[in-house]
Amino acid sequence: MGYLLKTAWWKWLCVAMLFYTVIAGLLLPVPRLPILNETIRAIHFNVPMWFGMILLFTGSLVYAIKYLKSSDNRFDTYSYQLANTGILFGILGLLSGMVWANYTWGEPWSNDPKQNASVVSMLIYLAYFVLRGSIQDEQQKNRISAVYNIFAFFLMIPLLFILPRLSDSLHPGNGGNPGFNSYDLDSDLRKVFYVAVVGWTLLGYWMGSIAIRLSLIKQKVDDQ
Amino acid sequence: MKIIALLKKDFQVDWRQQSPYTGILLFLSSTIFAAYIAFGGFISVELWNALFWIILLFTAINAISKSFSQEDRRTHYYYFLCLPTEVLASKLIYSFLYLLIIAGFSLLLYTVFLGIPNFSLVHYTINLSLGCLGLSSAFTMVSAISMRATNRSILMVVLGFPIVIPVIILAINNANRILEGFLWSQIQGNVLSLLSVDVIIIALSFVLFPFTWRS
Repeated sequence: MGYLLKTAWWKWLCVAMLFYTVIAGLLLPVPRLPILNETIRAIHFNVPMWFGMILLFTGSLVYAIKYLKSSDNRFDTYSYQLANTGILFGILGLLSGMVWANYTWGEPWSNDPKQNASVVSMLIYLAYFVLRGSIQDEQQKNRISAVYNIFAFFLMIPLLFILPRLSDSLHPGNGGNPGFNSYDLDSDLRKVFYVAVVGWTLLGYWMGSIAIRLSLIKQKVDDQ
Repeated sequence: MKIIALLKKDFQVDWRQQSPYTGILLFLSSTIFAAYIAFGGFISVELWNALFWIILLFTAINAISKSFSQEDRRTHYYYFLCLPTEVLASKLIYSFLYLLIIAGFSLLLYTVFLGIPNFSLVHYTINLSLGCLGLSSAFTMVSAISMRATNRSILMVVLGFPIVIPVIILAINNANRILEGFLWSQIQGNVLSLLSVDVIIIALSFVLFPFTWRS
């Protein structure tokens, strides 16, 4: 019990927000939009995953830049573990999106530009892990994987803007489909959605920090 | 002027060995011939374009993956003789020209075997050269990244393909529109975004290359 009292306030906030998201997200009334109907509730579970993923990847990028500036091995561990957690969020986002698409569009995969963009960003970070696995020298591994991290991140960003412009999408919020717009994200949804985004993002930060601490401790044990 | 000396050296090394040039030419010819056999010489315009770009993509990755892996034993000399930006600039120019020649040759061969649709050659060439610029510079940088790794040939593909997807998508899309007979003003926006992706790739390469160089 002593540990629970010492836990930082934002962790309690995260737990409370996620409880609220699950309960209110499934029970509060939602607007009746054509096609979407009740499946609109997926917005509280799918969209925040992408927010979390992009934030974690951005964190990974920042530490990669810091590593190149300082050659401090700690920053490399930060960068690697944040990318790791980001991948987990990305995979969860992809899976939850596919479950939703199966009910709303009738098939889990329909060549939607947002789905394609998310797969490409997964591929980029999985390639990052392969690269890390195939360089023997510790210093070189850290430096070159940081270089790839930065290179890939800045090419992933234009992709997220280019792809949707080139083809039509069924995705809510694209091409006149109802979705994430200021006028049809109504106050009932907003009450849950903003809390969900903050809650899931905090969870991502929490998981990332645990992964970083665990790997730093492992390194310390290995060194002894 | 070190850049020109390095360019000359790259050309001489490849010219004397012969095998890089002849190997790539044979690779191209046999791939195009296999495509001709597979499709029986009759394909729709959209497929014509997609197939051409895919052949070009695979040829490019094979041609350019050597650009840094062949320098393994020479890096120490360069390290003391030139700035990393000079080395990178010479490699970027060389691989761009190399890929441009390959693309021209493959377009020629491709039209001989698989027919020539009715299109504006000038617009197609502009789009093709911008695509080649993006492909060659991205693969040159990936080649520098994978230089230190153990399983280079697999890494080139694994690291390279996700990165060139923006270039490939834009180039194929523009080329399709050109083949469909769109006016220049209708595709101008997309050609400019292709150019800006190229600029992003080259700028990032110049910023990041010195870090892969130091060892």
